[in-house]
Amino acid sequence: MSRIVEVYTGEYAAGKSENALNRALEIARCGRKVTLVDLDIVEPAYTLRPIQDELRRMGVGVIAWRTEDTAGLGEAGTTLHPAARWALRREGDVILDLGYGTEGIRTLNLVVGANTNPRLKVYNVVNTCRPLTAGVRDVVEQVRAMGRSDGLINNTHLGPETTVSVVQDGARKVAAAAKILGLRVTATAVAKSIDGTIGRSDCMGNPVRELRLMMHKAFW
Amino acid sequence: MLQKPIREEKRAFMTGNEVVAWAAMAAGADIMYGYPITPQNEIMHYWTRLAPKYQKKFLQTEDELSAGFTTIGGVMAGRKAFTATAGPGNILMQEPMSMAEMMRLPAVVVVQQRGGPSTATVIYSQQEVTLTATGGNGEGMRVVYSTAGHQDLFDYTIKAFNTAWKYRFPTFVLGDGYQAKMRESLTVYDPAARGVELAEPEPLVGREGVPGKDRPPSQYRNTFNLEEELYEKVIGDAREYEKIAPEIAEYQSYGIEDAHLAVVAHGVVFRAVREAVEKLTAQGLKVGYFRPVTLRPLPVTQIRDLAARVQKMLVVESAYGQLARLLKEAASGTPAEIVTYLKPGIGVTAGEVETKIRELV
Repeated sequence: MSRIVEVYTGEYAAGKSENALNRALEIARCGRKVTLVDLDIVEPAYTLRPIQDELRRMGVGVIAWRTEDTAGLGEAGTTLHPAARWALRREGDVILDLGYGTEGIRTLNLVVGANTNPRLKVYNVVNTCRPLTAGVRDVVEQVRAMGRSDGLINNTHLGPETTVSVVQDGARKVAAAAKILGLRVTATAVAKSIDGTIGRSDCMGNPVRELRLMMHKAFW
Repeated sequence: MLQKPIREEKRAFMTGNEVVAWAAMAAGADIMYGYPITPQNEIMHYWTRLAPKYQKKFLQTEDELSAGFTTIGGVMAGRKAFTATAGPGNILMQEPMSMAEMMRLPAVVVVQQRGGPSTATVIYSQQEVTLTATGGNGEGMRVVYSTAGHQDLFDYTIKAFNTAWKYRFPTFVLGDGYQAKMRESLTVYDPAARGVELAEPEPLVGREGVPGKDRPPSQYRNTFNLEEELYEKVIGDAREYEKIAPEIAEYQSYGIEDAHLAVVAHGVVFRAVREAVEKLTAQGLKVGYFRPVTLRPLPVTQIRDLAARVQKMLVVESAYGQLARLLKEAASGTPAEIVTYLKPGIGVTAGEVETKIRELV
């Protein structure tokens, strides 16, 4: 299998980091070398920073700031990590976790080779339980505003209250939006902990990716 | 006709700041005035994203003094106006809100507390209790709702507008950076569908008719020449505030009927206290909790009843005794011993509260 280079982007709190880190873990479990890059310089509150060592122990290479390296910078401490700029020159697969919205995707311009890498895919993570992406038209507008997208990921959930029907409802809306956009639904992401099971594909026939939730530990 | 921002009641997954923006939309707010400061920025971001869709307005001012005074200006012009701030911005906000107190103007201010003093930290703290509840150079005649999660942020932001316009005292929704950034689900709804009647703002100045002849004059003063005149004004407002305080005061309690120890907490810290107390009562410990939802006015009668019943009250807060100070005043003269667990600017876990309770009972 050829080199995997994937970018996770989307709305605020859509589940970008959770999906990015789970994808990196999935790749690592296949015995492949993978680097997960924290490129979130938009929102300092939720980043991979506090769980980076745990991820490394699980076999994923991580490029992220350590809080002590940015101490004293306060709110201005969210600058690009120098290693992140050169992440695509690394050996093995690379998963990039961007900050939210259009500002977040612009960060990609700072990564050397991102705009010319032929393998790079940008996946837009969507949770239709979030009011700004609740309807098919909202999702279409949001994805178009982001500029580049190579696929959508249905990450519809209600936290611990998520049920199979919540996820399937999202799957239908995301599939409808993808059709209008001419994009593929790359996956439906489902937390292991949800009530009930969905199986290997959602009601629209898209593959299901199981998420092991870790981001609740990442709030500093 | 424009569609309502929220047409059907449903569960939604959001961050706290987004919840506030949606709640202000649902409450029929017309305009937000604001100046950026973490951790409230996304209230502005989401308000400005929603505003064009629902023909609402936004003005970014040059600082929080202006944000507060323009909010007052909007209110006087008959708009349902609000602002949001935090930390040092909340300090500046006290001057315009003192004017609102003096002129008896409704205004809604959402405060997402950050660490202090001064610029300090951006996410976790309960150190703006004293400032929000009693700030300004007056007598602290305002209403402060302290929220403990997203449903509260939605419900109390809507309620804050009604309280402000009904009683004509500035009304604060006191959250914090943690709630602002936290993600959890809540039920969003159209208040009208739940039978909540929303206050209708009206212009306070520039009204039809001749003042003193067709209608009472609109007199909004913040300057008084004579001490006696000021005294009369302040005493009049104080009497009115004391009269309406029991109507406004809200609290939440559990297990206090036969408890030896009551744990008192507000806001996000209350969530840790609730978890610890529910766990320990299930194990048979005589412990309960008391959460003041309004920090101003406090539910004084209920606090005094509680203090007369239990042996000890444990105050837990992410500040160095700001809630404890308010509680001591309310419980003054009652026999209960007040002990504290104070973690200024950092979080409190249910485990820590549990350990502290076990030490005390």
